[in-house]
Amino acid sequence: MRKGLQDRNTTAFSMTGGGGDWIRRLGTGLLYAALTIMLILFMAPVYGAIATAFKSQAEVAAGGYWTPPSNLAGENFARVMDPEQGNLGLYLGNSLLLTIPASIFSIALGTLAGYGLGKYNFRGDGLLFIFIVAGMFLPPQIALIPVFRLMNDIGLYDTIYAVIIIHTAFGIPICTLVMRNFFQIVPNALREAALIDGANEYKIFFRIMLPLTLPALAVLATLQFTWIWNDFLWPFILTQKADSRTIMVGILNLTGQYTVDWGGQAAASLIGSLPTLFIFVFFQRYFIRGLTLGAVKG
Amino acid sequence: MLRRHPWVLPASFLLLPLLVYFAFVILPTLNSLYYSFTDWVGYGDDFNFVGLANFEKIFTDRLFGNAIKNTAIWLALAMTAPTGFGLVLALALQGKRRINTIYKSLFYLPICLSPIIIGIIWVWLYSPKLGIVNIFLRAIGQDHLATAWLANPNTALYAVFVAWAWQQTGLNMVIFLAGLTSVPTPLVEAAKVDGANYWQTLRQVVIPMLRPATVVVFALTAINALKSFEVIWVMTMGGPFNKSDTLAVFMYSESFRKFKMGYGSSAAVVLFLMTMVIIALYFRQTSKAEELYD
Repeated sequence: MRKGLQDRNTTAFSMTGGGGDWIRRLGTGLLYAALTIMLILFMAPVYGAIATAFKSQAEVAAGGYWTPPSNLAGENFARVMDPEQGNLGLYLGNSLLLTIPASIFSIALGTLAGYGLGKYNFRGDGLLFIFIVAGMFLPPQIALIPVFRLMNDIGLYDTIYAVIIIHTAFGIPICTLVMRNFFQIVPNALREAALIDGANEYKIFFRIMLPLTLPALAVLATLQFTWIWNDFLWPFILTQKADSRTIMVGILNLTGQYTVDWGGQAAASLIGSLPTLFIFVFFQRYFIRGLTLGAVKG
Repeated sequence: MLRRHPWVLPASFLLLPLLVYFAFVILPTLNSLYYSFTDWVGYGDDFNFVGLANFEKIFTDRLFGNAIKNTAIWLALAMTAPTGFGLVLALALQGKRRINTIYKSLFYLPICLSPIIIGIIWVWLYSPKLGIVNIFLRAIGQDHLATAWLANPNTALYAVFVAWAWQQTGLNMVIFLAGLTSVPTPLVEAAKVDGANYWQTLRQVVIPMLRPATVVVFALTAINALKSFEVIWVMTMGGPFNKSDTLAVFMYSESFRKFKMGYGSSAAVVLFLMTMVIIALYFRQTSKAEELYD
């Protein structure tokens, strides 16, 4: 479970393993030719979005989606960021104000729960663990209406706080799962030695255990940031006015506002994807480790 | 391994997270069940308990039947195309070759994009005049196949599905790749020594060893398929003529566009129960897999 993609791998089992030398080379060549064609088809949408972001409306209409942009004008970007027009700056700020606290809170609560379940035995601990982790699989639809009503009743409807609270709560299952599995493999000798030295349980948690959790925290930070940043349904249900709008809701609104502004939509999509693409480039290892939790026994 | 502790200690760690989880996840879920027995319209406290009336109505609602049908199609497609394609990519790209690392990254890139952005990008691809799909069809002389993919009632659901599958395939590939790292090399080499060819090794050794990963892929795909809303909403809003209206979209439209919150809750409950069936199957399969390997 904790092995990254690049680690230890089977070289014995390969699609092009059998046959003589030239057959093997031909096989490898054909395999990569097929893979490359697939990859080009697979990446075409991304290429199109990037190319379109730099094109004027006239250029889009004339050249369509395919052609490279004639120059690297940032006009589309300026327009969607302009407070008088696209106003994406405001929505980006709102999304940061949502994503950072909600990630921190869900990870903090998951760390507490994971420690309680991973390091202590008590009656019903297994059942409690399943009860919490099951929340990971709940479709958000089952909670939409009651949460909508609850946020209205406590006066948080149409504020970013409502979305922070709900993402914190819905992040608890995955964070608890990761942290509990992590704490289970931390040797008990550490804790017992500290107890003998006279440290109390909370001191052990904060001074000894927490510093050890950094890799697990990195996994969760990349996962939670990506989910919450990209989420649309909750802010769509829980907010209305521009002042509390998140980036994904803002981008969709933009498509309603300028129905044929392909360049603007493409520029907005690029801007809105930058934070998660940053994680993709620099923290891929942690992100993938989080995605593949439970895929492999161990 | 650990001696038993008084409950005070674990409780002091668990109390706060459990409180938040209970208040904002469990209570709303239970409340949905409650609302599904009422005729609440979205505001005020003035609503009636109507018993099973919503469920009686929903199972005779033509639109609900349509949503169930579309959800079933969506689910059936999801369990085959992105899962199979994900497995093939994982098998082709496993190993440490440098080019594999780059290819893997690119196939997995769509996972970090928001479904909203995926929807927006694919709407352009399907655009009748300027979209790449029709440009391509015209270029290869198949003009008669070019259509308004998202406005054509016969193609809308499938066109939206392809956009969704674009993201799901990369996720499945990543999970299968992780599963492949747990296939022991000596086992594969032994099969080779015994004279097994690639397909024999794949069928007799690798696929059985991939079972835990396969179970995760199928469960995750099914759950993601059932709750997928965003891509459909951006691309077609369930149209044209409700042809791409799945259960998740139906639930949203009834609740937040028609403000039939009680009725919408009963749709949410149906969706919830379908998810529960998948989770139950998943837990059964994982415990079976564990028996197999322990």
